[in-house]
Amino acid sequence: MECENESVEGRPLDEQELVEQARGGDARAYEVLVRNYQDLAFRTAYVIAGGSADAEDAAQEGFVKAWYALPRFRAGAPFRPWLLAIVANEARNRRRSGRRQDDLALRVAEDRPSGDAAPSPEAAALATEQRSQLLAAVGRLAEADRQVIACRYFLELSEAEMAAALGCRRGTVKSRLSRALDRLRAAMIEQGGGPLPMTRLQGGDR
Amino acid sequence: MSRRELDLEGALADLGAALRFPPTPDLAAAVTARLEQEPPPAPARPRPWLAGWRRLAVAGLVAVLLAAAVLVASPGTREAVARRLGLRGIGVELGGPPPPTVTTTPGGRLDLGLGQRVTLEEARRRTGFPVLVPGAAGFQQPDAVFVDPAVPGGGRVDLVYRARPGLPASSFTDAGLLITEFRGQPDPGFLKKIVVAGLVQEVTVGGQPGYFFSGEPHFFSYQGADGQFREERTRLAGNTLVWQRGELTLRLEGEVSQAEAVRIAESMR
Repeated sequence: MECENESVEGRPLDEQELVEQARGGDARAYEVLVRNYQDLAFRTAYVIAGGSADAEDAAQEGFVKAWYALPRFRAGAPFRPWLLAIVANEARNRRRSGRRQDDLALRVAEDRPSGDAAPSPEAAALATEQRSQLLAAVGRLAEADRQVIACRYFLELSEAEMAAALGCRRGTVKSRLSRALDRLRAAMIEQGGGPLPMTRLQGGDR
Repeated sequence: MSRRELDLEGALADLGAALRFPPTPDLAAAVTARLEQEPPPAPARPRPWLAGWRRLAVAGLVAVLLAAAVLVASPGTREAVARRLGLRGIGVELGGPPPPTVTTTPGGRLDLGLGQRVTLEEARRRTGFPVLVPGAAGFQQPDAVFVDPAVPGGGRVDLVYRARPGLPASSFTDAGLLITEFRGQPDPGFLKKIVVAGLVQEVTVGGQPGYFFSGEPHFFSYQGADGQFREERTRLAGNTLVWQRGELTLRLEGEVSQAEAVRIAESMR
């Protein structure tokens, strides 16, 4: 998994400046940071807490707590994992409160978001169907497996961020993910064969 | 690796790209509005702060250690800490494999709070050591005191201070400040380890050694009264000062700076 060196995509300098300004008490700078990360924070909280209302609550509370914790933020450290640890912790607290969650009630988009060469309507329908099956299989996994897969593939978190979000050690993340994939694979096979060649549908080799 | 194995990760990535999360609410506006309404650091919403704290501090396990890392400490820090352990009842260890999981109580239920809530006077009667309280202004009266007499060495006492302006709520405990006191056991078997990310600073508190953990959150794990570590009950901890005073080992956690933590610690009488 090569997701640890993804920090150099234009935002670091801006982000460090913003963090510095926010640490100095600049609420406007912090608002920009919140805006930049609200999708990530909300979705991470959603994956962990399991419902929109809890996720919104957790993300908002996490941002507020992070603001007050900012003076203690180590200058130059990566902001994302630090923030995610706080938000995810809030999300876990809400999940523990025991209410019933609509676990990962995500939807698969009907249309391809990217501008790939338009597939035939049949291929598009098939792809949607296969994605839905895979999503359902992920949804049937145990909570820990579901969360690690969602963090990696749905949220595209780096290893450090996954460790922060899941509250585990970084060295544990890889093995946890690999075990989760094994179980998902087994579940998919058991469920009726190889529903997985969807990534090639776009290529039209069928 | 078979084609199918390759495909699973590809398929998950494809699924991720096609997923629709619920729409993100306008958190930036909501957060900014809240920060404007509450300029002094305070817990955002009225809620049972103590209940929240206890829920988080799950295990009435005998508190003891700091453990485990979100990120890896710098080599310099690693060496410094590895060289110099030695607070009674607390071990420091950096890196290494994940700790083995120890099964929880039969039935798997851990509903141990911090112990029993008592008055300060009662805590003093029920522990086998003199309970210290900060003399620093604003900290002389803890908002709540808990005692767990089952902890070896005379029990454990927790002083809890509610968050208030100037003493923000910790994102990890919900409290403004938490001070834990117990008589550290020299037996290494009692020790727990600390694997730390962020910064570990060696400090001196009233002439005795201590460590200040800050920066990245670290994990904190508890040792059961039976001497078993409950690795799975780790929780995230914020800035923490751990130090020694005679036979006592003390731990102070909160969103405070190192200087402030040491100041409060040195004022304890």
